[in-house]
Amino acid sequence: MAREKNYGNPQLENKLRDRYYYVDDTKPEFLANVEKIGRTIAHMCYQCGTCTGSCPSAPRSSYRIRLFVRRAVLGLEEEALTDPDLWLCTTCYSCTDRCPRDIAPTDIIMAMRNLAFKWDIIPRNFLQTVQLIYKSGHGVPNNDVNRAARERLGLPRDPPTTHAYPEFIPGIQKILDHYKLKENADRMLAEEGK
Amino acid sequence: MAEKKEARIGVFLCHCGTNIAGSINIKEVQDYARTLPGVVVSDEYQYMCSTPGQGKIVDAIKEHNLTGIVVAACSPRLHEPTFRVASKVGGINPFRFEMANIREQNSWVHMHDKEGATAKAKDAVRIAVAKASLLEDLFPKSVPVEKAAIVVGAGVAGIQASLDLANAGIPTYLVEKTPTIGGRMSQLDKTFPTLDCSQCILTPKMVDVGRNENIILKTYTEVEKVEGYIGNFEITLRKKARGVMTPEEAEAKGIVGGGCNGCGDCSGVCPVIKGNEFEFAMAPRKAIFIHHPQVVPNIYTVDFESCIKCGLCVEACGDKKAIDLEMEDSFEKIKVGTAILATGYELFPIEKKAEWGYNRFENVITGLEFERLICASGPTGGHLVRPSDGQTPKKVGFVLCAGSRDNTGIGKPYCSRFCCMYSLKHAHQIIEKIPGVKAYLFYMDIRSFGKMYEEFYYRIQDEGAKFIRGRVANILEDPKSRNLMVFAEDTLLQRPVNIELDLVVLASAVQPSPEADTVRKLFGVSKSADGWMLEAHPKLNPCGTTTAGVFLAGVCQGPKDIPDTVAQAEGAASAASIPIHVGKVELEPYFAQCMEEKCAGCGMCVNLCPYSALALVEKEGKKVMQVTEAKCKGCGTCGGFCPGGAIHMQHFTTPQIVAQIDAFLLGGEQ
Ligand SMILES: Cc1cc2nc3c(=O)[nH]c(=O)nc-3n(C[C@H](O)[C@H](O)[C@H](O)COP(=O)(O)OP(=O)(O)OC[C@H]3O[C@@H](n4cnc5c(N)ncnc54)[C@H](O)[C@@H]3O)c2cc1C
Ligand code: SF4
Ligand code: SF4
Repeated sequence: MAREKNYGNPQLENKLRDRYYYVDDTKPEFLANVEKIGRTIAHMCYQCGTCTGSCPSAPRSSYRIRLFVRRAVLGLEEEALTDPDLWLCTTCYSCTDRCPRDIAPTDIIMAMRNLAFKWDIIPRNFLQTVQLIYKSGHGVPNNDVNRAARERLGLPRDPPTTHAYPEFIPGIQKILDHYKLKENADRMLAEEGK
Repeated sequence: MAEKKEARIGVFLCHCGTNIAGSINIKEVQDYARTLPGVVVSDEYQYMCSTPGQGKIVDAIKEHNLTGIVVAACSPRLHEPTFRVASKVGGINPFRFEMANIREQNSWVHMHDKEGATAKAKDAVRIAVAKASLLEDLFPKSVPVEKAAIVVGAGVAGIQASLDLANAGIPTYLVEKTPTIGGRMSQLDKTFPTLDCSQCILTPKMVDVGRNENIILKTYTEVEKVEGYIGNFEITLRKKARGVMTPEEAEAKGIVGGGCNGCGDCSGVCPVIKGNEFEFAMAPRKAIFIHHPQVVPNIYTVDFESCIKCGLCVEACGDKKAIDLEMEDSFEKIKVGTAILATGYELFPIEKKAEWGYNRFENVITGLEFERLICASGPTGGHLVRPSDGQTPKKVGFVLCAGSRDNTGIGKPYCSRFCCMYSLKHAHQIIEKIPGVKAYLFYMDIRSFGKMYEEFYYRIQDEGAKFIRGRVANILEDPKSRNLMVFAEDTLLQRPVNIELDLVVLASAVQPSPEADTVRKLFGVSKSADGWMLEAHPKLNPCGTTTAGVFLAGVCQGPKDIPDTVAQAEGAASAASIPIHVGKVELEPYFAQCMEEKCAGCGMCVNLCPYSALALVEKEGKKVMQVTEAKCKGCGTCGGFCPGGAIHMQHFTTPQIVAQIDAFLLGGEQ
């Protein structure tokens, strides 16, 4: 909890706000949840930065995977889940390959995204992806450019997925409906539109 | 076997501060002990091992005329000797003491279950009382100690230990598997934190070894077989075929004034060229060679794997007749009282961590290769160069913890302990030698814990080395320039970095060599989970092992720098000299004994005994088994096997063990 300074000026208040780490601001259960969902030993991180050093997203953005692992360890739930960088992991798993502590940082990010979804925090492109999967079975559905490329390579215009077998789409929809993914995505996008 | 007296047992419970009393109800166990058959006194104390604690035992023996003592406390490995002495002082045979471990095997593991722990402590006490009631007087056997020692491995640890033993008047065999003594230290250029030249401080010790009358130097030799026990080890050495005779060996063969004098005429004419392993193949050697000019002994060696037997060297050697191309391995048996293992380390094969490109990228080298390249007597005369093009590097990176502190199962989980410090030293060396050079150290922590080490770190930082707090994620090579792109995170800036460097030095983790592991097994020494040899106690007996008479020195026990290595070597030498100076050792009297009236003379036990302690002999016209007590370790293999039940295992007799089992299963109602 940032301690009040009472400068009487909200802008100054924010600029000079207390940035100490207070133990009572933290949630130990956040670490427990992340470890349970991610099935990895986040608490063993020694902050070496091998993950950030391996990350293709890091040099192109402000995303620091190591920082998210730190937040998990310290139980800084709000700071982690409200940081838009959470969504910049490409899930390439390079960090997971190299982490000397045998932690899976990628799975820590996936766990946090899971938890953020419960808070209705999720960027719109991810929500649109849900809608696309619901409609076509694909996060990135086939398009004409791809179809032409496939033809040039001597492949059928559509891959042997739901594109070729649309009869499987209802099955996928059933799964998404079970987890209320589509329903929530529709709702959040509609709220955003308002 | 003594005549049977009615058992009068005293039970003593230790609190060990709160270590035991915190999770076991001592009072309850004490009261319970009083109810056990044979128990005449049950007492407790804060610290039974203290003087007043031991005093309680002494007094109780006298006051209650006790025949057996049970102390329920820590592990017998810690305090069995203590309480045996107390029992003896009290006036009973020390082998009438029995220990119940209620700490390591109870309170420490059941910290949160006081009820369960207390019940288990009652079981342990009941079982110990059952055994104590049947214990007998035993008398340790004392055997003479051979006045000689062996030291295996002649790095700085083995050299120091041998010199100390020899100077204490003990004939010492120093056995080294390579053709020269010196080990890793002779490959180093300078040594932190004082920066004195490694060769300059080591060579005088090496020369002393060569000269010392009490040191019997056996280079190019390995331990083949170890038999016997403390005081009387019989060791078979394999002297590998060196192809070259020393002057003494030549004289023994009647070649007067001959033998190798180290002139090197032979290697001048040898046509075979190989990589010199001392220089990590960055310099050549011949098939007949010495590794470097300071070798001790200064005797050449033939590498028979690459020798083509052209005979040119034999001709060049001439009248000295030192070379024998038909030489074969020979064996020698020696007898020693104690042994020191000092087999050192090798580098972890860092190419296994593929992301750093060792062996794939020429300009990625190890710390030991760096030592040779920066050393004036090394392959480049001390000019540090890039292996790819021989150019002087201007930007050099040092990757710390390369393969250390790694829990992936590929690298090593431990800290290799000297790499922080030698990487600082390396940074200093290039800053000193190459004007305008930039040194980058990629680190997670700088562990500069020794005397004057933190000051050394300060100095190198002041000299301009750049420290980047982050572990190197991966290294890529520019195929044209052969420069290296080093990827990491500067965790203090929270920014990923990609630094282009000319040369990268990996501070590779260290590990025990496979040959060291073979020796370890021959001497019956255990290893710890990390693979290094296991000391008897990490704090209180760091030089000893669980095999009596065998001691450890140097890195073979775990990574340590030269000051720590030398200190441990002196400690091991001192410990190894004690039994030799005392002249005799007492062996625990846990021998097997043959009850001749029951022995059928089948002899099956003789072959089973792992220590060759048994034999069949004729006695009164009957074949019976006989035990060489000094060889018997009391393992019980024979006793457990004998179909006629004719073998009596002292201190672990069948009635004693059955009584313990009964006490456990029947809750004391035998
Ligand atoms: C790159 C680098 C730089 C270093 N710089 C420094 C420094 O500046 N200062 C410092 O204090 N420390 C430094 N060290 C550490 C130093 O090398 C060790 O502390 C020291 O060499 C340990 O000596 P040792 O005798 O225990 O082992 P070793 O030097 O490894 O000697 C072991 C000997 O045993 C022999 N041997 C092995 N197995 C057998 C066998 N089965 N039978 C017979 N013989 C056998 C080996 O051939 C070897 O001669 C450095 C280490 C490295 C890797
Ligand atoms: S690589 Fe592993 S140990 Fe290092 S900072 Fe990332 S998660 Fe932590
Ligand atoms: S000594 Fe330093 S570089 Fe070597 S493993 Fe330990 S922490 Fe890492």
